[in-house]
Amino acid sequence: MKIQEKRGRGFKGSELDRWSRLVKRKKKIKHARELVRISFATMIAGCFAVLFLMPIILTITNSFMSASEISANYGQVFATTDTGGKVYISEKVNLKFIPDMVSFSQYITVLLKSPEYLFKFWNSVILVVPIVAFQLLVAMGAAYGFTRYRGRIKEIIFFIYIILMLMPYQVTLVPNYLVADWLHTLNTNWAIWLPGIFSPFAVYLLTKYMRRIPVSVMEAAQIDGAGEWQIFRKICMPLCKGAMCSVAILIFIDYWNMVEQPLILLTDQEKHPLSVFLSKINSGEIGLAFAVATIYMVPPILVFLYGEDYLVEGITYQGGIKG
Amino acid sequence: MHFPKSRKKEKNLQFVKENKKRSGSNRRTRKGKLISIGYLFPSAAGVLLFFVLPFLIVIYYSVVDNPISNQFVFLDNYVMVFQNAAFQQAARNTLMFSLVAVPLAVVLSLFLAMMLESRIPFKSQFRTFFLSPMMVPIASIVLIWQVLFHYNGMVNEVLGVFHIDKIDWLNSNYAQVVIVILFLWKNLGYNMILFMAALSSIPKDILEVAVLESATPFQIFWHIKLRYMSSTILFVTIMSLINSFKVFREIYLLKGEYPYDTMYMLQHFMNNTFSRLDYQKMSAAAIMMAIVMVIIIGILFLTENYFGKDVEG
Amino acid sequence: MKKMKKFIAAAIAAGTMMMLLFGCGKREEQQNETKGYVWVSEYADFNVEECDWIDEVVTLGDECYFSTSRYDEEKEQSVTSLYKYNLLENKAEKLNFDLEENSSIYGMAVNADGNLAMLINQYEYVEDEEGNVTDVNSKMQLCIVSPSDGALIDSKEITEVLDVPQETYFQYFSIDGQGNLYLADGDSKIYILNKDIQKVCEISIEGWINNMVTSKEGDVYIAIYGNEGMELKKVDVAAKKIGEPVQGLSEGYGNFTFRTGVEKSLLVSSNDGVLTFDIQSQTKEDLFKWLDVDINSDDVNQVGELSDGRIWAIIREYDRDYNSSYQLAFLSKKDASEVTARQEIVFGAMWIDSDVKRNIIKFNKTNSQYRIIVKEYGEDDYEAGLIQFGADLTTGNCPDIISLSQLDFAQYANKGILEDLYPYMEQSGIKKEDYVENILEAYDMDGKLYGIMPSFYLSSTAVKKSLVGDKSGWTLDEMLDLVEEVKPQYVMSYDSKESMLYYCIYQNIDEFIDWESGTCHFDGDQFIRALEFASQFPSQEEVNYNEREGISSLLHDNKLLLMQTSISSVQEYQMMKGMFGEDITYIGSPSSDRKGNVIQPAGGSLAMSSKSKYKDGVWEFMKIMLEAEYQDSLVNEHGGFGFPIRKESLEKQFEFDMKADYYEDENGNQVERPKTTWGYDDFTIEIMAASQEEIDEIKALITSAEKVSENADQQVTNIITEETEPFFKGQKSAAEVAGVIQNRVQIYVNENK
Repeated sequence: MKIQEKRGRGFKGSELDRWSRLVKRKKKIKHARELVRISFATMIAGCFAVLFLMPIILTITNSFMSASEISANYGQVFATTDTGGKVYISEKVNLKFIPDMVSFSQYITVLLKSPEYLFKFWNSVILVVPIVAFQLLVAMGAAYGFTRYRGRIKEIIFFIYIILMLMPYQVTLVPNYLVADWLHTLNTNWAIWLPGIFSPFAVYLLTKYMRRIPVSVMEAAQIDGAGEWQIFRKICMPLCKGAMCSVAILIFIDYWNMVEQPLILLTDQEKHPLSVFLSKINSGEIGLAFAVATIYMVPPILVFLYGEDYLVEGITYQGGIKG
Repeated sequence: MHFPKSRKKEKNLQFVKENKKRSGSNRRTRKGKLISIGYLFPSAAGVLLFFVLPFLIVIYYSVVDNPISNQFVFLDNYVMVFQNAAFQQAARNTLMFSLVAVPLAVVLSLFLAMMLESRIPFKSQFRTFFLSPMMVPIASIVLIWQVLFHYNGMVNEVLGVFHIDKIDWLNSNYAQVVIVILFLWKNLGYNMILFMAALSSIPKDILEVAVLESATPFQIFWHIKLRYMSSTILFVTIMSLINSFKVFREIYLLKGEYPYDTMYMLQHFMNNTFSRLDYQKMSAAAIMMAIVMVIIIGILFLTENYFGKDVEG
Repeated sequence: MKKMKKFIAAAIAAGTMMMLLFGCGKREEQQNETKGYVWVSEYADFNVEECDWIDEVVTLGDECYFSTSRYDEEKEQSVTSLYKYNLLENKAEKLNFDLEENSSIYGMAVNADGNLAMLINQYEYVEDEEGNVTDVNSKMQLCIVSPSDGALIDSKEITEVLDVPQETYFQYFSIDGQGNLYLADGDSKIYILNKDIQKVCEISIEGWINNMVTSKEGDVYIAIYGNEGMELKKVDVAAKKIGEPVQGLSEGYGNFTFRTGVEKSLLVSSNDGVLTFDIQSQTKEDLFKWLDVDINSDDVNQVGELSDGRIWAIIREYDRDYNSSYQLAFLSKKDASEVTARQEIVFGAMWIDSDVKRNIIKFNKTNSQYRIIVKEYGEDDYEAGLIQFGADLTTGNCPDIISLSQLDFAQYANKGILEDLYPYMEQSGIKKEDYVENILEAYDMDGKLYGIMPSFYLSSTAVKKSLVGDKSGWTLDEMLDLVEEVKPQYVMSYDSKESMLYYCIYQNIDEFIDWESGTCHFDGDQFIRALEFASQFPSQEEVNYNEREGISSLLHDNKLLLMQTSISSVQEYQMMKGMFGEDITYIGSPSSDRKGNVIQPAGGSLAMSSKSKYKDGVWEFMKIMLEAEYQDSLVNEHGGFGFPIRKESLEKQFEFDMKADYYEDENGNQVERPKTTWGYDDFTIEIMAASQEEIDEIKALITSAEKVSENADQQVTNIITEETEPFFKGQKSAAEVAGVIQNRVQIYVNENK
């Protein structure tokens, strides 16, 4: 089946060869105009890139400021009143990109002096990695289930998945607490793991990808005598590799930044991930915040850089066969 | 434009083939169906326990007076919440925000994607840069937005250079502009990647034929690209919708439980009623929101089916 | 490439599995921990008489040695004695060891030979001709004493070896396994001598030494308060420096004390409970919490471990008049089945009042049927605590007794969470009439009593009677009018922009919010008037109260108009009156209904959960707080803080306040003498017996108060404090900020409707 397809393409390609020469001639005329357009586009893209990159750069450069420099700069932004209210920022504040004096004191404190942050970092890892791994596993199965033999009931279930996925967390937080209480998982990592693993989010994404694999491919395999497991393992899995990778990145980033679930489901502060700390920085802790934030960005950036090609590939694939 | 037509023919042919196959192995199909349900089972069971069951509990909460005394009151909560001025405000704001931010996110990211599609240098670097906001910890985001848009912030300072009066961005009707910008900043990159992928997967041959036939760029865009991307557009829309609900966390950290009224979202309403133990109000609001969502997504599905049918694989 | 990816995938999977297992293991561990045995306390008399104070306790096996000090009234000086206490037999023996005059024991430790090493400081005053002390000569001595009879074995002067400044006071003294002596002066340095009394080194330390202890292994550790809490660091003699913090122990800034362990390295006791810590493996094992063994951690004086695994503790209890008594407690592990199971009542609190805690411990000690367990919400995070509490309410895990401190009682009462207490009062024969009714009714809603407040005080504002007359309250406008009319130099003793605005509105939110119709009027004239009024004052950063004249002279000169104050005792009232120098009116903070005197709980307020399974048990406890015994214990000869709610007890308090103290002068006449002296800023007053009129006035104030202080509108005040700042800083107009406040508060009001 695959070979046939390739052949078909090849044929079309050779037919197009003649035309493409024509196109090229036309293009030459347009070339000058094209150049202007490209440089213009590059400029706009550049502007956007600066805007988009600013926060990361700011976080990293500010992590080399001394705690006192940071509180002098942004202290009032994060200050709170005794009753927990916000404080009005009464003086001009500026984003400061370049430290007056490069200092590693933040890192020394975070990495060496107070192990608390590393513990929390480890908590984050323990919470997030199993969720990513098992959510993918469960979701791959479910996506396969949704892809094969589509019928009305499955469509309805899939629709329900989408609706559940769209619910804001506040809605299900208390019921989740109830369920966790009932399962006796409160204040254990399971309270976070279980709902995470079965989240419909990955199911939705993977199903979307998997449904792009032409039915014909799977059916051909079926005719060749492949069982469902083999179709799943030998066709869907490899074809969805990129998609899995990109979904993994998304889930990872999503859970890496979770705040509300641990806050409620883990009563023990020692079990909280670092993201909880980062979400409620106050003026007292802001001196360390940037170093913590920078360290906290490392895993997502690594995951991202490692999987970036998959991210594009995974999505690119959707049309590759579709056409 | 005859090309799409011919593809339709091809598809019909395939369809006939498929039909043949299907009739051939009925028993196997049934077995396969069962197995495919088996694949679905773990997830379905988990979703049932951790998502559907909680949702049912929410429904239960929405028809009792409060979760402690549990007196059945039927639809009273719905009526009460529906008539609540704060809820109405929140629903209006959320709807407005979604109506503005989601299409804007779709259009702008499509624009960015098309821009990157043209042969500009450093393409993959740009791609990486645009995705970077996803990774920034929330503390940095809040800091930057405060510093930029506060009354004494940088934006006003820049405006001051042009002798424009200070605007209290976060405490005026401009507040929604600020959060739309925040939302776009956070989500354009990912949407753009999705569109870039979709664009690159449009068969080149069709595009080149179209160029040969002297179709204007607009025609190409409208008749070919958009059609091929319709399912991606739906996908991006749903993803943006999800993410538009997530922007609450930033607003909350910027302005607390009770921000200026144009920034007051349904999530504020739910969050605040939640922390006051008014679960019945929160639940009723959530159910109403879910109903609206069902309708919106239903409509999106129908439109996608209508537009994208002839190119769907 | 492919292989590598597979490898990575496998590694991730393996890692995940490990983590999952790790997670499981952890969970099981916790489950194992949960019982099977319980810690039980037994008490014994502390057989040392005549001791006011115990210090320098060292243990040697199952015996402990300590020095006591007692003030000898005849000799008018303090007497130090050395005791040996056999803990197994509960026998004390006074050792025959006498300190020379002008000496004191700085530290005590057990040396390598098993003898007691004592660090003794001997000081000598150098006087000039007129008898004034010009200098002190201090000598440091090391005495080795036999533990069996206290006989002096050896004594060496070490002043010169140490070479420290004259006034150095050594707080901590330890001896390690090799016989080295460690002397720490508390804040900066540790001096180390070897066993031949040669100086080894001095080590400087950053931070305050909180404790020094020798571990079971024979190493000496110091405890220092670091950035992240208490840090335990080894004193490394070989390297002559302080090591890195020991991991695995630190838990915030709790008040830790250490003792050499019997099985593990150290025995650690904190405000929370007792644990053992093994330094080698960095593991700790929690033994028990003080509350669970019915001991108030505030009373724990010394803790140690016996060879049979029991823990002993010397408990020192104070009564309300600050007389103390010592007791010895032994804590032992018992099989859970041996201990008669009692019904567990959960006491939930955001913050626990020390009086309530004392009562809980007392209740647990005596009650055979119930036992109260304290569950503290949000120890470090108030908001997280509230959420947790809310979640517990909905899941049916509601605490049986709820402490109303820092909670909005009306919110919970409205949801049916709280039980009506009137029927219980009736049942147990506690009559409503016996209590100050309007105070009792502070927690009354629609004829149901949702909480009790065992003691209370009023918060108010005082002003000269000559200025306002007999008014019992005022509105914001009346207050502002008076200020404009009198034009005092200062309106209040602490008058920044922020605090003045807060004063104008915090009991007066109803003036701006009409809850019935759900509208608010922050953009109206009145709020703007208050804003403009507040903006005349210096801002929080600028204001310097130290430059001002004394408060009483300001009051006398009519330069200061108002005093924010509480009415917590008759004596405080007398002082306030004296400070004004003329009759005063407690007019309260401005409020639209002219009721600005607010009832505040002086201790913890309690409520009962309507879902509790042990309502009788809960009431049994709550009843104690209302009964004569406890209420009378609140009565204090010296005035105290807060009034008891029981009328009879309150009368007793007033009687005390009206009773004059007499002394006999040289002519044999009875002359009234002051009961005590109160001071406030530049003002001091000798408190004499209160007059009947004064008592009547206080009674009238008490009975006229209606509102109980609440912090329900914190949201509103938070919004106001945040948004008024630009006006105070001169960056926006009053109308602009009023508009923003109106907008944000309106949302709050709408939502709550």
